[in-house]
Amino acid sequence: MSELVIQTRDLNKKYGDRYAVRHLNLEIARGEIYGFLGPNGAGKTTTIRMLLGLIRPTMGSIQIFGKDLRKEKMNILRKVGSLVEYPSNYGHLTAVQNLETVRRILDVPKSRIDEVLDIVSLTKDAKRPVKGYSLGMKQRLGIATALLGNPELLILDEPTNGLDPEGIHEIRELIRSMPKQHGITVLVSSHLLSEVEQMAGTVGIIRQGEMVFQDTISNLQQQASAGFRLVVSEPQEALQLVRGQGYIGQMENGGLKLGQISDPEVALLVKRLVDNNHAIYRVEENRRTLEDIFMQVIEQGGFQ
Amino acid sequence: MGGYFKVLSAERLKMSRSYIVLLMLVSPLIAILSGLLSNIEGAPMPWSTLLMIMSMMHAMLFMPIMSGIFAAIICRYEHNGGGWKQLLVLPVTRTGVYFAKYTVVIVMLAITQLLLAGSVFLVGWIKGIHAPVEWDIFLRSILGGWVACLPLAALQLAVSMMWSSFAAPLALNVTFTIPNILVVNSSTYGPYYPWAQPLLATLPGNQLDGGGFGALNLPFESLMITVLGSFIVFFIFGWVYFKMKEV
Repeated sequence: MSELVIQTRDLNKKYGDRYAVRHLNLEIARGEIYGFLGPNGAGKTTTIRMLLGLIRPTMGSIQIFGKDLRKEKMNILRKVGSLVEYPSNYGHLTAVQNLETVRRILDVPKSRIDEVLDIVSLTKDAKRPVKGYSLGMKQRLGIATALLGNPELLILDEPTNGLDPEGIHEIRELIRSMPKQHGITVLVSSHLLSEVEQMAGTVGIIRQGEMVFQDTISNLQQQASAGFRLVVSEPQEALQLVRGQGYIGQMENGGLKLGQISDPEVALLVKRLVDNNHAIYRVEENRRTLEDIFMQVIEQGGFQ
Repeated sequence: MGGYFKVLSAERLKMSRSYIVLLMLVSPLIAILSGLLSNIEGAPMPWSTLLMIMSMMHAMLFMPIMSGIFAAIICRYEHNGGGWKQLLVLPVTRTGVYFAKYTVVIVMLAITQLLLAGSVFLVGWIKGIHAPVEWDIFLRSILGGWVACLPLAALQLAVSMMWSSFAAPLALNVTFTIPNILVVNSSTYGPYYPWAQPLLATLPGNQLDGGGFGALNLPFESLMITVLGSFIVFFIFGWVYFKMKEV
């Protein structure tokens, strides 16, 4: 297991009687892009605000870079760049001046301003007051601000919210380049799986404040299996045999429809059928799209 | 201290707007006008008389209102579109931010107060006053008037941090500033009324013709003790509130 950059243990945030976040165990390894998914109001922003020390957890602990957030908040925040909800800026100031207000606090060299403007391709518009910027440009300025302090961890809350397809593409490419080119670990939240599946290696899915899935995208894809279909020479007899082995199946379009079973079980079943002189024409897997799985997870709170 | 000086430096950049300078000029300009229109011929202490005339509106209305406006402006940028979040995710403590913001407010008030002092000298020079300046009265008014704004500035800063609206704290401030003219008549309540404290500290009450009235007759020292007490209460209230605030 590689080193964990973020680790929360039994994190809870309660407002009145309602849990906004409950028993949350977040684990994010160094150098990865972690997609934090969930519908609006599931607790993503609340979690992120806790990770950044903007609100206090009701219960539970947060470790970032292996340090306790409560005890070493300043040391941690120095190495974290973030963009929470929407980008904030001072409209009357230019991009350079906006970055300068943050630079004075972070105490990084002035040349860093030009560097981050270059990373987000805003150099050309850097001397204009920000109030004339498009949403996409403001978003990029927000990311530039987050990058200013040479962070090791970047936390982006819905960075593509409200952007057009081109803007979404730009931001996505930008985020994708972070671990490779700058060695930055990224936590990116979204309510759309399609937005993060192309960049994230790991996803965490949160629903009504609780984590219902946390694993790699490829493992999520494995969950995409919705069962198997067997086409054999004598389906009726084969079905008897399959049921005799304890599996649930039924006839469908001249084939056998089976539920979700593991790879070794598939192999065993096929062997049994062959041993009983069935000719097997096809073994097909019914696949669902990731979006279907995501919807299932969100609606039912996990895999059934 | 929690990045206090760094935040201060960042705040100064955010405040670099021309209309803030214009705001600071309003009160001194009105004071100059009323000073020029006044007749101080034959006054025994011409400088003090001129100061009193010119600082009347300034201390009664403008200083309390400016305390509210400056406090609201310094929070406005942060209330706009998640600025508090962006500021507080930086390696700064809440305490550092609160102290820096308060410092900017009171420095802007100090500049306004110095501009008023300058205006008095300007008018005195135009009018050709030859008498020596009564420095003790003069300094006490200018400095005391500023110190008396400190509790109000802390109160307004706390309210401005609480309410994300820009107008609401200002409306509150103006509502409580208007009754000043009545409140100063009461020697019982006047000194405890944060909006009246600048006027009470600025006007040299016992120097008025026939002595002062109401709360204006109170000794300067006891007024300052009240001011200090209310400053501590409001400042700590705002500080604790900001430390606990959910952003």
